[in-house]
Amino acid sequence: MRRAAAALRRGWLRFWFEPSAPTNLAVSRIVVYAPLAVFYAVHDYAIWGRVSPALYQPIWLFRTLHLPVLAPATLDVLQTVWKVSLFTAAAGLFTSASCALTALLGVYLIGLPHNFGQTYHFDAAIVFAFATLACSRCGDALSIDAWIAGPSHRGPSASGEYTWPIRLMWVTLSLVFFAAGVAKIWTSGVEWVTSDQMTLLLERVQYHISDADPVTNWGSYIARYSLLPRVLAAATMIIETTYPLALLRTRARPFIVLAGIGLIVGIRLLMGPTFEHFLLLNAFWVPWDRVGAWLRLRVRHGASVIDRSPIHV
Amino acid sequence: MSSAAAFGMSRLRFVLAHALIATVVGGSLYDIAARMEHWPFSNYPMFAEIHRTDLLRWPRIYGVTRDGTELPIVSYRELWPLDQSRLPIGLRAIYNEPGSSARIHEALRDVLQRYEQRREAGEHSGPALVGLRLYLVTWEVEPFARNLAAPSRRQLLSSVMLENRVAAR
Repeated sequence: MRRAAAALRRGWLRFWFEPSAPTNLAVSRIVVYAPLAVFYAVHDYAIWGRVSPALYQPIWLFRTLHLPVLAPATLDVLQTVWKVSLFTAAAGLFTSASCALTALLGVYLIGLPHNFGQTYHFDAAIVFAFATLACSRCGDALSIDAWIAGPSHRGPSASGEYTWPIRLMWVTLSLVFFAAGVAKIWTSGVEWVTSDQMTLLLERVQYHISDADPVTNWGSYIARYSLLPRVLAAATMIIETTYPLALLRTRARPFIVLAGIGLIVGIRLLMGPTFEHFLLLNAFWVPWDRVGAWLRLRVRHGASVIDRSPIHV
Repeated sequence: MSSAAAFGMSRLRFVLAHALIATVVGGSLYDIAARMEHWPFSNYPMFAEIHRTDLLRWPRIYGVTRDGTELPIVSYRELWPLDQSRLPIGLRAIYNEPGSSARIHEALRDVLQRYEQRREAGEHSGPALVGLRLYLVTWEVEPFARNLAAPSRRQLLSSVMLENRVAAR
């Protein structure tokens, strides 16, 4: 029993804190923040201060913390600070403060629209990413801060500090998919796959009922067949419920992660919901240090020499 | 050597990391197990419920033009910052609350006023409207939504007209 507990503890510590170089976390910071900075730059959150209180239906977080809908002028200031902090976080300038601002202001600004009518799910994991990066040392490499500090002030070459934030995002993504799969099983059981529900769902979303319309009308073509929607339903449920297996040291990890990406893309194409920026969080799965090493090798050997060794994820 | 030091971390940072891990994992597992939603935590219930009939009932906003024509308003630009899903679902929730007629009226007025202000500012290309009507619309679902413009039933839930436009008529 004691041996099992000790092994469990060792496994826990190895999973979360196995020392790693700062590169993967630093690149993930850039890959997540830079596109989101551009994406949110054109979003206006101040408008929510002008929407009638008649439409206000506060979500748990705002109700519990008594967070008000601030005046448009105040929201304008907050969103300006937030948008600037997204760019500075991406660049690694005042990284700790920038990431803290993206998280603190982000949870309020990103959460604000969910108080009006419906809670969408496409940006909740982004909030967790901001919180995780805010508590991490993601600015220790590939940042303006690190460049200003110079080589003598850089952090350790390998540390658990650079591992746990990445692993926490792995777990967060796994929980998102797993939750969606479990919700389907608990709510509808095997009928979710065997009934006509996917056929009906693919047709229903053509009626402008989603937050955005499906990119294509292929759903209606798929719905013509009896078996195809059921195959899609089964694949969806399998991908969602087995996604946490990607947390294990397994060669299947890249395939599981790619299947998750495929599912999100499929949802956008066939059903509508806009999970595009959720896809950015897959940056945490990529072993950027190995990608970098592979690219350096290619550059060193010249473009004509093709290195056939695979990158293990 | 402590666990924290073994992994190149201070004890404080080690505790902070564990606190965040516990919060994210614990909160997520709680919502999954309790089938609840505490944004940003969620049990991600979208699409979990199965539909057993080909009847689709959906609250939809129709704009009323000066000549009395009704047009469904679904474009994001026209409903901004709300949208074709958030707004009708929110309105339906308000409608289902007892004694909410004044509130839903106010909500519709707000949507209409913003629509007109944005149209006059050239921020969307929708037609000029003098009113909005909220219907509960029923379709018998067809491939490619071929009957989108011809639902089998429409039940008026609420409506609002712009006073100055009505007075001018």
